[in-house]
Amino acid sequence: MNVDGVLFALLAGAGLLTAIAALLAREIVHTIMWIAILFVSLGLVYFLLEAPFLGVLQLAVYAGAVTILLLFAIMVVKKRIFSKEAVTGIGVSSVALAVALATLFTLNASSVTPPNGGRVYDTTLLSVSLFASYGAWVLALGFVVLSALVGAVYLARESRGRRIRAEGE
Amino acid sequence: MSYTIPTISPYTPEISLLVAVVLIFLLDVAGVKSRILLGGATSLFLLLAFLEVLADLGTWPLQGLSTLPSGYLGTLQGPVIFTSFGLIFQGIFLAVALIVGFASISDPDEEGAPTFYALLTLAAIGMLFVAVSADLILLLLSIEITGIATYALVGYTRRDRRALEAAMKFYIIGALSTAISFFGASLLYGAYGTTQLSAFSTLPANHELALMGFGMVAAGLAFKATLVPFHMWAVDVYDGAGPNVAGFLSGGSKKMGLFALFVVFVAAVRVFGAAEGYVLFLALGSLAVITMTLGNVLALEQKTMKRMLAYSSIAQAGYMLLGVAIDTPAALAGATLQITADVLMKTGAFVVVGAAASLGIGPLITDYKGLGHSRPGISASFAIMLLSLAGMPLTLGFVGKFYLFFAAVEAPGYFILLAIAGLLNSAISVFYYARILRLMYMPDDSKAPASDGHSLTHSTLGSATGPATPRWASLRSEITAVGTARWITIVSVAVLLVLFGIYPTTLVGAMNSAAQQFWTIGF
Amino acid sequence: MIPLDELLVFSGLLFSIGIFGVLTRRNFIMLLISVEIIMNSAILNFVTFSAYSPSSSVAQAVSGQGIAVVLIGLAATEVALGLAIVLALNRIIGSVDVAKAMELRL
Repeated sequence: MNVDGVLFALLAGAGLLTAIAALLAREIVHTIMWIAILFVSLGLVYFLLEAPFLGVLQLAVYAGAVTILLLFAIMVVKKRIFSKEAVTGIGVSSVALAVALATLFTLNASSVTPPNGGRVYDTTLLSVSLFASYGAWVLALGFVVLSALVGAVYLARESRGRRIRAEGE
Repeated sequence: MSYTIPTISPYTPEISLLVAVVLIFLLDVAGVKSRILLGGATSLFLLLAFLEVLADLGTWPLQGLSTLPSGYLGTLQGPVIFTSFGLIFQGIFLAVALIVGFASISDPDEEGAPTFYALLTLAAIGMLFVAVSADLILLLLSIEITGIATYALVGYTRRDRRALEAAMKFYIIGALSTAISFFGASLLYGAYGTTQLSAFSTLPANHELALMGFGMVAAGLAFKATLVPFHMWAVDVYDGAGPNVAGFLSGGSKKMGLFALFVVFVAAVRVFGAAEGYVLFLALGSLAVITMTLGNVLALEQKTMKRMLAYSSIAQAGYMLLGVAIDTPAALAGATLQITADVLMKTGAFVVVGAAASLGIGPLITDYKGLGHSRPGISASFAIMLLSLAGMPLTLGFVGKFYLFFAAVEAPGYFILLAIAGLLNSAISVFYYARILRLMYMPDDSKAPASDGHSLTHSTLGSATGPATPRWASLRSEITAVGTARWITIVSVAVLLVLFGIYPTTLVGAMNSAAQQFWTIGF
Repeated sequence: MIPLDELLVFSGLLFSIGIFGVLTRRNFIMLLISVEIIMNSAILNFVTFSAYSPSSSVAQAVSGQGIAVVLIGLAATEVALGLAIVLALNRIIGSVDVAKAMELRL
């Protein structure tokens, strides 16, 4: 078994365990922590699959943005998210996160084995293909983002008339 | 593989709508909250897009694919394809958006009006892309454009807790169905190496992977189309959303899911051989029958108007699914007719519910008692819509059901059973539609009950010449109470239903040739 | 390179865990997370099949990674809208009630 295989086994095991832990966790903050580790380990799997751009994107968007958004949603709903139990749980999960990050560095150090069976692509090829041949997808994604923007800005914004009425009352 | 940017003309409807969105944003920045201005502009652009689609339909398609100028879409490899079937659906989707956009002019002005129209227009853009997708990923992404816009539309009355809860539920179901569809698409991509819908029937593939992929994509789309195992959410969401938005969901985004199902199924049918195909049709047929039966039976016992309409909307999805369950182009044409009819009558019915709410009529079905005498215009129109939903002759609802069931009878094999099941279901549905009709026209016995919708329209529209001056006055007070735009929408939808019910020839001809073309090339 | 079967088993298990979460949990945020797990399994599948593409065309083979890029953007957009709905709900009712309202009955 080569380095890639061992690393994948570790990452997949960690990913599955954290996914299950996320769904079984009692504190919802723990869920977010576990799910962040799942996202990180998936990003590392993309590195193993010779898709570094996707790996970075996964780390930045999923492990970064999506996790923070979810945390923020919980902060809105629960006034006190960092209860005593929650904090101890965060300790456990941050150890796990540290292990995952250590894996990233190991991965970086390990020499990449030549592909046997799988294909490897240049990031340039990906971008050319995405914007030249499949531009329609990016266009559609643009429309998705536009409608989400319109909807989210409206829903999250404080209603002006309502605030005035509340002051009047 | 090169992707040539097509000449501008086939995209004019989309561009018109995009211009409308930008215009709405500008008006929003300028502080315009007037629905007359915003809704008028939106409706104008939607109408423009509708006319452009009609012009496109008139000029070039309805023929084979080979006659299309190649510059329009490059080659079949491109992610977009314009066929007459897709263009007809573009027209249908624009009609829904137009009905909802125009009727909502009569809603009270408020801060959220620009957002409402922007989201409506964006949802319409998504539906336009769905109708012309030749690529599974573009199809699912376009569905998601409409999906995201409609999640926000459901919750856009942000002071209403029920609407927000409905939005939450709709959002989760929508996101789940999208995720499942994309998982299925990933399996199909693994099986074929491409996501071109046209490639599925030609390329060799891993059979099990393809079967699983098609199954998951179809399951995800079935959520959108409210087919029975996946229908639970629809009633609560339609109930919680505003009536106009509910009309848009039932008429627009659901039909979009059905269209996508048609596309995927027609692609899938070609992949599988005769034996597996037979099992597929058996499954589809029974799914359709279960959907319509459950929808109709549950509609029978509903107390509120919106929930009743929601269940009947689920039942209608069952009829439309027959279009692919019966393996002929004629059935597909019948289903398209039925979809056209349903867009008019269901969206119209939800607009009527909105009008009734603005008249101070409660949500219960019994609250509509005596409406036929106090508000002759909208209740006559509502009666026509209900008769059309029940499939009575001289309405478009009859035409759709007739062609659908006729196709089932004509098709070889066991398909006649589907026609019988459909007829039985229509009979069940008559009960709950007739109950409303009886309630609306009950207490006064001086007038005959609404047995013929056609003569009723004439009696109300032509009442200026009649002897009843108080009725004319009550009609005018009704228009001011309901709102002119909403009243015009309701009456014109009813008139269209009767008009197409009496002269369906052009519509039927267009649907038939489009379905024939769709069946041969698979789009 | 990692064998195809192992990757498929991994994404299949992730998909099942996500479905399990959708079926068992009722909280809006938990449901959202379950849906994200399913979405991630789909993305992983696209990347996997891009590496093991049966297609002879390189553009088609790399398109799987393109789809993955688009899907990551799509998922983030979805989450943002979901958060906006929670915020709007939080504005009209107290935060205790939001926790209650977020227990969806699907």
